[in-house]
Amino acid sequence: MQQPPSSDVLRGTLDLLILKTLTLEPMHGWGIGQRIQQMSRGVLDANQGSLYPAFQRLEQKGWIDSEWRTTENNRRAKYYRLTAAGRRAVGTEAANWRRYVEAVEFILQTT
Amino acid sequence: MAAIKGITARLRALLFPRAAEKALNDEIEFHLEQETEKNVRLGMSRAEARRHALVQFGGLTQTREAHHDVYAARPVEEFVADTRYTLRTMRRTPALAAAAILTLALGVGANTAIFSAVNAVILRPLPFPKPEQLYMLWEENPEKGWYKEVAAPANMFDWKEQVASFADVMGYADAFGASTLSDGGEPTIVKPAFGTGNFFSVLGARAALGRTFTDAETWRTDQSVAVLSHRLWRDRFGSDPRVIGRTIQLDGSPVQVVGVMPASFAYPNDGVDLWQPWRWNPNNRQQVFFRRAHWVSVVARLKPGVTQETADAQLQAVVKRLQRDYPQTNKAMGAGMTPLHEFLIGDTRLPLLVLLGAVGLLLLIACANVGNLMLVKAAGREREAALRLALGAGRRRLIRQALTESLVTSVVGSAAGLALGWWGTRALQAIQPAGMLRVSRFEFDWVVLAYVLAITTVSGLLFGIAPALWSSRRLPLDALKEGGRGGSDSRRIRRWGERLVIGEVALALMLSVGAGLLVRSLLHLEHVDPGFDPNGVLAAKLVLPGGRYDTGEKVLSFFTRLEERLRGIPGVQGVGGVSQLSLDNSGYTSDFIVEGWPAGTYGSEVAHRRVTPDYFKVMKTPVIAGRAITAEDRPNSPQVVVINEAFAHKHFKGQDPIGKRITFNKELDSTSTWNTIVGVVKSQHQTKLSLEPQIEVFEPLAQSETNGMFMVLRTAGDPASLGPAVRRTVAELDRSLALESIRTMNEVRAQSLARERFLTTLLLLFASVGLALAVVGVYGVMAQMARRRVREMGIRLALGAQANDVRWLVVRNGLRLVVFGLVIGTVGALLATRLMQTLLYGVASKDPLTFVAVSAVLVVTAVVATWVPATFASRADPATALRAE
Repeated sequence: MQQPPSSDVLRGTLDLLILKTLTLEPMHGWGIGQRIQQMSRGVLDANQGSLYPAFQRLEQKGWIDSEWRTTENNRRAKYYRLTAAGRRAVGTEAANWRRYVEAVEFILQTT
Repeated sequence: MAAIKGITARLRALLFPRAAEKALNDEIEFHLEQETEKNVRLGMSRAEARRHALVQFGGLTQTREAHHDVYAARPVEEFVADTRYTLRTMRRTPALAAAAILTLALGVGANTAIFSAVNAVILRPLPFPKPEQLYMLWEENPEKGWYKEVAAPANMFDWKEQVASFADVMGYADAFGASTLSDGGEPTIVKPAFGTGNFFSVLGARAALGRTFTDAETWRTDQSVAVLSHRLWRDRFGSDPRVIGRTIQLDGSPVQVVGVMPASFAYPNDGVDLWQPWRWNPNNRQQVFFRRAHWVSVVARLKPGVTQETADAQLQAVVKRLQRDYPQTNKAMGAGMTPLHEFLIGDTRLPLLVLLGAVGLLLLIACANVGNLMLVKAAGREREAALRLALGAGRRRLIRQALTESLVTSVVGSAAGLALGWWGTRALQAIQPAGMLRVSRFEFDWVVLAYVLAITTVSGLLFGIAPALWSSRRLPLDALKEGGRGGSDSRRIRRWGERLVIGEVALALMLSVGAGLLVRSLLHLEHVDPGFDPNGVLAAKLVLPGGRYDTGEKVLSFFTRLEERLRGIPGVQGVGGVSQLSLDNSGYTSDFIVEGWPAGTYGSEVAHRRVTPDYFKVMKTPVIAGRAITAEDRPNSPQVVVINEAFAHKHFKGQDPIGKRITFNKELDSTSTWNTIVGVVKSQHQTKLSLEPQIEVFEPLAQSETNGMFMVLRTAGDPASLGPAVRRTVAELDRSLALESIRTMNEVRAQSLARERFLTTLLLLFASVGLALAVVGVYGVMAQMARRRVREMGIRLALGAQANDVRWLVVRNGLRLVVFGLVIGTVGALLATRLMQTLLYGVASKDPLTFVAVSAVLVVTAVVATWVPATFASRADPATALRAE
């Protein structure tokens, strides 16, 4: 069985990916998971179960919002969308991530 | 906004856990279906697609758990579970729980009672609108040694009119004796307060019924009005609203009732039954006596926005002008202002703060004791904690559980303490010396409850922190290896125990030294010779209404006849009269000149009392030189006075005062009359035993009549039993007279020490409880340590040590800690008791005797507390002790 992401870095990454995905349009949980997988060309095949605690976390931070809606296939699903605070957070979180990547990259190049 | 959304999400999960769970399940189910359908589209069979979806999702349970953890519901659930667990353990070990709760209840109860008094007296603002604008104005005079004294009425009016920052200024007289209210029925004594017409308006107080006074009524001599207290209105007039406008008889004169105050109004104190305006003659303002006699308490209300500095500067300018304009009376007369509330609580603040400090120490001792109990409990569950750690419980989780446990104990203990405190508050109100706390009724309000909540939480954390850290800090492996047998010795627990012993001893020493100093001080006071023999003396006060007793002859003839009749009461050995009772109140004071002194010199502050011939004999106050007042000193015979020893010492060093003449002015003028000093008597303490006797002169009542006299009667039997006969005798002479007060001189003496005794009793009570708790605590820790060393003792005994050696070992260990605690406590006490110096009489705040005696008591009790467990340890049978492990 896969280990759920445990370190803060991975957890932060997952949160960022969810936020980024939601900038396009409100989506339900499964859709978000699919989108992340597609966009990363299958590289990031995150444990789907770990998405849901992440949703709660983000909701508690006030970055995303949820409501039950009907899908195109007439099914009831919980849709998540970005709040204003969440939209702001995408920017800062992304910037943090880039800084982090640059730092790691720099270390990899110099040693 | 975002935060609010987060909180609502949490709340929803907390309030509707089922709904939250269902929503999550629905969501997961939707996810799985989508995934399954995707897999089917990719060509899997339905069953396989579903299985794949589940695998892809990961642990369902884990997700649910993680989801649950994110919400606040988890900590709350845990808290509830911990609380239940605590209550269950309490029920399982009732003795331990009861000890902890009782100990806390004592600490919290004492704090609640004392704090409710502090709150009512010091913290709560005066019950008037904008109380911060109210200031007490007072006079000072370095020449007479006056500071914060009552003012002369003429000065008051000048301040009122000339200080621009004052919105208004009023005056009143405190302790103005009593009046006889005769209104049909039995004459009763009521306590009036007199003030200027704006007395109520300056305070901002309104009448509940009718009206208060008008400013003009200060000067209206043609009519007499009164405002009743709510209590008098209820008790005497049956709360009848028609009392407004009615005329009542006060001291035989008609007075019209114009208003009734609300029950909450009690100024200057709640003993006042009715208020009357002064009705001064407008001519008084030009009279010298209006500026010479100082007897008015003055309260000013500042204009809005004016600071004390501005007002004081203006006041000082007026004071300077008055000193220049009226040198005869005001040459050295200064004035100042103090916020009214601060002024009123002046001499109550320190005793209350001392008591608050004492109960604070008491609470700390209680916390230490409960902390030890909790620690013992935690140590007993060490294995359980270790097991839980090994199974993956978080350390935070364990700490939280331990803290919850102590908080629950603390809350239960405090609830009991609150009940005890409520009772204590009642007791405090009942036993406080009259007028000491100013507010005679105080209730719990939110400030008191907040305080109790705060000390509950703080004490819960205080005694909970040690067991909490203890239970989490140990490595699970060590604890399990030791097998929960306590190991050879758990050093950390021991060190905590040692610290507790040291701390408790130190706290108990501080508390006991404080109490010890007060006890010594009180003993000193009890042994001060008041200058008379209070045993077997009854004192009854009566005031003859000025209306009917309007001449000196009438007054004198009444008192002479009364003395005559009182002598006839069976069992009475002697009867005398005096205008002010010793240890109760001093008479007025004046300046004086002794004949033959260089021109321009004069003395100040000699007290005056009027006496009848037998007064000194009845009081058993010895005549040291010359003679006492006799019946031969008549109105028209030469004016004579008797002086007290203090006067003779201070102003006639080495000279014989007998035969010298004295007059009571600052400058000789045509009105000066000379009085011949005919005798010297032993000094009586006029007000308090703690104050040296003032210099004093006694004038014969016959030559200086006054309408208010205390009749003193000496008897061989119980003086209190004379009461009814005295009342009867007075009624026989004048049926409309009522005794204003009737007390034995021993009661008077006790009342003069009431404050000291009150403070000492309370502090002694707190110190005793504190000491008892500390002894129990020391015993508990030592017993615990001795038990842990049973194996060691067994080995020692097996190797040939004597039981005595073993016992001594334990006692010595205990004593070492006690001595350590005594040293720390002594340092603390030396710092703390310095603040008490002004409350002490005849004892220094670092009185060595008190420190040594208290230390000795502590050492002895500590030895007893360690002796018992030591004996226990020394009886250890080597074989059993070794096997016991």
